[in-house]
Amino acid sequence: MTRLAVPAFPLDNRRFVGLLFLSPALLYILLLVGFPFLLAIAFGFSDVTVGNTDLNFVGLQNYMAVWENDIFRQVFETTIRFTLISQIFILIFANILAIIFTQDFTGKWFARFIFILPWATPVSLAMIGWLWMLDTKYSPIDYLLLQTGFLGPNGILSNNRNLFWLATPDLSQISVIFVQVWRLTPLATVILMAGLSSIPTDILDQAEVDGSRFMRTLLQIKLPLILPIMVIALLFSMITMFGDMTVVYVLTRGGPVDYTRVLGLYSFQVGIEGGNLAQGAAISLFAFPLLLAMAIFMLRTASRAEVQ
Amino acid sequence: MSIVQINGLKKYFDAVRAVDGVDLAIDQGEFLVILGPSGCGKTTLMRMIAGLEKPTAGKIAIGGEDVTELPPRKRGVSMVFQSYALYPHMNVFNNIAFPLRAQRRELKFDKRAIREKVESTARLLEIDMLLDRRPRQLSGGQRQRVAIARAMVTKPAVLLLDEPLSNLDAKLRANARDELKDFQRSSDITAVFVTHDQIEAMGLGDRIVVMSEGKIQQIGTPQHIYDDPANEFVATFLGSPSMNILSAKGFRFGFRPEHFLPKTLHDNPENSRIFHYYVKRVEYLGSDRLVYGYVRGREDELTLAKVPSNVRVSLDIESDYEFAVHNSDIKFFDKASGGRIEQQNLAQALT
Repeated sequence: MTRLAVPAFPLDNRRFVGLLFLSPALLYILLLVGFPFLLAIAFGFSDVTVGNTDLNFVGLQNYMAVWENDIFRQVFETTIRFTLISQIFILIFANILAIIFTQDFTGKWFARFIFILPWATPVSLAMIGWLWMLDTKYSPIDYLLLQTGFLGPNGILSNNRNLFWLATPDLSQISVIFVQVWRLTPLATVILMAGLSSIPTDILDQAEVDGSRFMRTLLQIKLPLILPIMVIALLFSMITMFGDMTVVYVLTRGGPVDYTRVLGLYSFQVGIEGGNLAQGAAISLFAFPLLLAMAIFMLRTASRAEVQ
Repeated sequence: MSIVQINGLKKYFDAVRAVDGVDLAIDQGEFLVILGPSGCGKTTLMRMIAGLEKPTAGKIAIGGEDVTELPPRKRGVSMVFQSYALYPHMNVFNNIAFPLRAQRRELKFDKRAIREKVESTARLLEIDMLLDRRPRQLSGGQRQRVAIARAMVTKPAVLLLDEPLSNLDAKLRANARDELKDFQRSSDITAVFVTHDQIEAMGLGDRIVVMSEGKIQQIGTPQHIYDDPANEFVATFLGSPSMNILSAKGFRFGFRPEHFLPKTLHDNPENSRIFHYYVKRVEYLGSDRLVYGYVRGREDELTLAKVPSNVRVSLDIESDYEFAVHNSDIKFFDKASGGRIEQQNLAQALT
């Protein structure tokens, strides 16, 4: 019988090595995603509170209570509205920026670096920055408007010295949406840039020889070809935004009144701050089927539209 | 009359001299093949004719007009890429119609004219039944036809083809070559065809431009460059297996394996040069026998002979034979430059 040239080690075993390489990802998903998710489902069907941690099964009672709550309905509607409006702006800006950043110009690397910063900065820190920018009394934006005559006595925008960015119903909503767009556009841009640079140069050269100018190449060649990637970018930023609570938690705490209260924040306020863990879990789980359906729909669209 | 006139064309990518001083006149209606090994600058030359690459120096004129600074759409050229570069999200009709729509303003087409032109071009290339299909639903040969149809539909002054046959399998390729040549002749279009495949070049070209290291080595008909190569590069690049090159005192000389035959096969040995040839190994290739060996006294220079199989000469391995080459089939090259030189006295130089 022939002998193996070298004795086999455990690392020679494909199954073992495969499992070894997968284990960090598996552990992460099981411990930090799977377990909390199952816990939230369990909480949602129970009467657990911070004060009484006994898990008693109460069926759909939490969900019914939440659904009949007017505040919840408004929060749910606000979340959807904020998400949809900001996605429109994110898509427009990300497309324009991705096209700019895939052209050749001096200082491109520096411009890209500066531009990615909103995404790279920890959300809470960035939001404290915006809290100052949008401060009711000391906002630098207001100061500039005041100096240029847009604010103050006989000002074009208002006779007041301030616009109260986070304190009026309209402006507070606009501010939150603006900050979300500011924060999420870089991610979508980077994804779209990857998509644009994955278009074969032959195709773009061909379009040029065929006599196509910038707008035709953009609208008839580039955008249709990156459509599947655009859907992925949209999915990422939608899901990030739908579940986000940090932005409004730092900027407005959901106010004024309930104008900027979104699902993530409401769930946190009811479940953690209010101590009603069961109802907090139920609130956050309302988003789950919606996001799941959205993700499935978009991923299927993307894979169907995929070319070649 | 030349339709394309290229003068002193150069393209440097930093330190790399991709195209290094090319002068070329392309005649109206001819099939010109640019042949060279990969990295010789042939694709860069073609991309400069198309307007996709800006020359470092030099001028390009098409139809008598200087187009060096003009974008591709102002040049009246069209191009077929190696990958065919079909727009994957458009059906065949829209692919072919794309250049017409893009140049609608310049060419003054309305919707009906576009439909008619696409359909007539598709009929010409026998793809009129595929107009609703997407590129991914087509075979390699069909894709190639769509790419050619799209390039032809605007009736360009010059059709540029960048290795358009290399993605086809070997069986289809000979067929496609034949059709392409027929098509070019019947439509009387000027075609510039870039390839590294010498069989394609020899088969298709009215004239062949042999390029190496960014420079033109020789321009001529296929027979001319094969039988009368300008230098050692052209001599060894064309032909398979390539020309045997042996050194002598002060120069080098070469002969093609198919001209190197047993002495008994030459009708008049007086006009031939006799070599004592040691046969090391013989490969039977069906139509030919490929003989590996060396000329006695030149043991370190592998010398090949290609003997037709229907010639009834027995060739035993590890044996000595007398082989001969007709004097006119021996080419002489300068040792330093590789350029062709006059016939030399071999007898003297070999002693």
